[in-house]
Amino acid sequence: MNGHRPWWKTALGVFFTALMLFPVYWMVNVSLTETGDMRSDPPHWFPWNPTLEGYRNVLDHQLPHLGTSMLIGLGTVVLTLVVAAPAAYSLAQLNLRGGKTLNFVLLVAQMIPGVIMAMGFYAIYIKLGLLNTVWGLIVADSTVAVPFAVLLLTTFMQGIPRELTQAATVDGAGTWRTFWSVVLPVSRNSMITASLFAFLWSWSDFIFASTLNRNGDLIPITLGIYKYIGNNTTQWNSIMATAVVASIPAAVLLVVAQRYVAAGVTAGAVKD
Amino acid sequence: MKMTQTRSVGAGAAAPDGVAARAVAAPSGRTASHRSRSTRWAAVGFAAPLVVYLVAFYAFPLWRNIELSLHDYTPRAFVQGNAEFVGLDNYADVLSSRTFWPALRNTALFVVVSIAFQYVLGLALAVFFRQNFRLSGVLRGMFLIPWLLPLIVSASTWSWMLNSDNGIINSVLGAFGVGQVNWLTSPEWALVSVIVANIWLGIPFNLVILYSGLQNIPGDVYEAASLDGASAWQQFRKITFPLLRPVSIITLLLGLIYTLKVVDIIWIMTTGGPGSSSTTLAVWSYREAFGTGQPDFSPAAAVGNLLILIALAFGFVYLHLQRRQEQS
Amino acid sequence: MRKTTIRSLGVLGAVTLAAVSLTACSSDGGSGDAAGSYTWWDPYPQHDAASDWGKRVEACGVEAGVTVQRTAYDTTALTNQAMLSAQEGTSPDVILLDNPAVSTLADTGMLNTMEEFGFDTSAIDANLIAAGQIDGDTFGIPIGANTLALFYNQDVLTAAGVDTASITDWASLTDALAKVTSSGKKGITFAGIGTEEGSFQFLPWFWGAGADLRELDSPQAVAALELWTGWLADGYAPNSVISNSQNTTWEEFLTGDFGFVVNGTWQINSAAEADFATGVIPIPGQKGGSAAAPTGGEFVTMPVQKDEARYDTTRKIVECMTTTDGFVETGTTFAYYIPPTADGQAAILAENADLEPWVDAVNAAKGRTSDDLGTDYPKVSEQLWTAVQEALSGVETPEVALQQAQEAAEAAIG
Repeated sequence: MNGHRPWWKTALGVFFTALMLFPVYWMVNVSLTETGDMRSDPPHWFPWNPTLEGYRNVLDHQLPHLGTSMLIGLGTVVLTLVVAAPAAYSLAQLNLRGGKTLNFVLLVAQMIPGVIMAMGFYAIYIKLGLLNTVWGLIVADSTVAVPFAVLLLTTFMQGIPRELTQAATVDGAGTWRTFWSVVLPVSRNSMITASLFAFLWSWSDFIFASTLNRNGDLIPITLGIYKYIGNNTTQWNSIMATAVVASIPAAVLLVVAQRYVAAGVTAGAVKD
Repeated sequence: MKMTQTRSVGAGAAAPDGVAARAVAAPSGRTASHRSRSTRWAAVGFAAPLVVYLVAFYAFPLWRNIELSLHDYTPRAFVQGNAEFVGLDNYADVLSSRTFWPALRNTALFVVVSIAFQYVLGLALAVFFRQNFRLSGVLRGMFLIPWLLPLIVSASTWSWMLNSDNGIINSVLGAFGVGQVNWLTSPEWALVSVIVANIWLGIPFNLVILYSGLQNIPGDVYEAASLDGASAWQQFRKITFPLLRPVSIITLLLGLIYTLKVVDIIWIMTTGGPGSSSTTLAVWSYREAFGTGQPDFSPAAAVGNLLILIALAFGFVYLHLQRRQEQS
Repeated sequence: MRKTTIRSLGVLGAVTLAAVSLTACSSDGGSGDAAGSYTWWDPYPQHDAASDWGKRVEACGVEAGVTVQRTAYDTTALTNQAMLSAQEGTSPDVILLDNPAVSTLADTGMLNTMEEFGFDTSAIDANLIAAGQIDGDTFGIPIGANTLALFYNQDVLTAAGVDTASITDWASLTDALAKVTSSGKKGITFAGIGTEEGSFQFLPWFWGAGADLRELDSPQAVAALELWTGWLADGYAPNSVISNSQNTTWEEFLTGDFGFVVNGTWQINSAAEADFATGVIPIPGQKGGSAAAPTGGEFVTMPVQKDEARYDTTRKIVECMTTTDGFVETGTTFAYYIPPTADGQAAILAENADLEPWVDAVNAAKGRTSDDLGTDYPKVSEQLWTAVQEALSGVETPEVALQQAQEAAEAAIG
């Protein structure tokens, strides 16, 4: 398969990507446009008369929030995996009693509206003194990802051949060691996938942040954007500029993670 | 319960493979039963953090949502905590409202069309990107960028592009001689527009999961097939699609759950309008609770619980499919 | 089986306990409840701590001998958060509230009356304070007011041969729009979005026809809605008004393509900086005169506290906002808010005579929750904007849309 790599596939791929990212281009376009030109008819395809005001605003005010979002995102990933991976193993490979019920509860859990979840956390956090803390936000954000991660990881772990885990057991490994040194490495792909989603959700969360972390010292970037939305005015170029700047570090992370997925094709893991 | 036990026994006994046979044969009867009990305990142990987590963080909100829907929570009652118990009145009001049927219809259209396109496009792209051509990894990563954008930004960008008078899409269509289409402001197009934007948002999700599922199909299966002279389409139909089935089902189910819940994008693009032409159940619930100056939490919670019931119904379908798969 | 269940429950309990104590340990004190720290919420996320407004709030605290912790929410989030915190008994000391929200929150019993705090509100213009009054009690003081008027692009009007002095009623305004449109420009843009903003923008026309919010389907109301649908049908207004927010209309106006835009006091500075000459006229009534526009602006309110000893200091902080000097300072900080008292208006006019049309407009304006609508207003308003949306998008005729709105409003009010 690696022998010849036809150029037309790359060309087609670039075309699809360009089509997909057109709205993103449009966002960049708006981020560079003067307020007076934003609604011109016909619209400008290109910011001929660019303003960097939006980017100046972002670089002056928003960079620390970017760091906070990154921290919260990574924290959410870790917490999600710690809770979800063992449970998925249990559901997929250990025939957990009541597993069906648990699956069902996970489905329901995902349907609870975010606003209601936020209200619940507000009540709990006030009592625990967790309002306006990064930890509180990590826990809240993880509630979006955990049920998803369990269902996803369970599906993938069901695909792990029993021979593999049973072989480990016969070799004298306990369940924990089987989990740690057989199941986890084989599930690397799906773990990365679940992590990606956990990260993305916490990155784009607004509702938890706005309810639980309004006046903390460390606020995430989604709240930072609201600085540009007044009650009667909206600074679009700053909002869009924030989104552009905010997506760069995350995009780099994604591209790297994606390459990692591609590199670790399961065949390799199954062989050892 | 009974079923899982049969299944575990069955799996052990039926495994044709030498390794499994050794596993069954080698230990004496006593150790085997001991092991199965310890496995049962291990199963509980591994799931315990999740159970604790669920109880700690979901039980209260879920109970709260049900409780809200069974009382008459005016803003006053909300603050003072003395709402009157009204039984199922809120549900009756919701079901008899003139918004209900249009909202249900819109929800069905929004969910079914969104998911169908997201899945088909996501799968096509996943298969395409699996071909490992130059730049495929980078391009695939870039497909996720839409997901990095805060929803307020992506939804605003879409309404920007779809603006009737100064949007880029009408401007392009105009160049081909198509007259002005009122994407967001006419009852015929509003729902279509929010669906298109939602499909765009959902493609990365489907692409990532399905791609990851494809990665788990061992390459030698394909090699064997191509030796047998199977065409690309035959390979897809006979190998890819069937082997991807569990992942497909979970992708569709999760997609369904998330799409049922979508509020932001519709709210920002059309606020559910004009009239109620793009109002889904979730948008309706949001509008009752937060879209007006008068928060009405009880009907909002009732609508939210109806959505949970709808998701549960599909959850049963999922379990049924899963069971059938286990039996086959 | 039973034994295992109990044991597993025991395990669960132990783990839960561990988890809870773990989180409890990691919690570091609550938010500032110290005696010297007072909490202040407002709906101005666009003004951070370093802004003029941020400094002004801080200075009010210093004057009262305490530190003020200010938190900004967007308008919708602020109302919800206020209710949540009241439910938990952790209300802030001061909340600046959008005026239609005052009656909703006052109705929950979470706000103190001004009388309890010893504030004399008799100097505040009656049409402005009305939004804060329920059954004779006053629950807040407006820190300033704004309202809507018609901004125009002088260059466009000159080219089209329109003299703004000739615009005295709806007919002459529509004539002017026709002239602008035939000169190749666009007539007018406004916000018909399906939210409170849509009602806010429709009300000057609604009231300008003599309609009443208690009767959404009156012939006057139908006339007002037909004015809007007529403009769309004749191409005087773009179709995008159906989904326009006020902010979007302003961006459209700034392109220089439009003759008129309905917008508010908050755009005064932006209008002055536009690439073309701008001016302002009051929104005309159907048969002449100025229509009453709705009042906008925030009220300062003081939520009920468990610890009543805090009220003395809270009063000092609030007083800093409600003296004549305070009003004028707020007015200029926000570029511009019109002070809600006659003295304050005279003082701000002495500083900036150009504000005259806006002071007049605010004096002629009307509170949305007045006419004794109070907490019924949000329900009526929701039906009103729905009707506007349906009529503008052609789902229903104005008449039918308003009839349905009236029925729905009556049902909602009960």
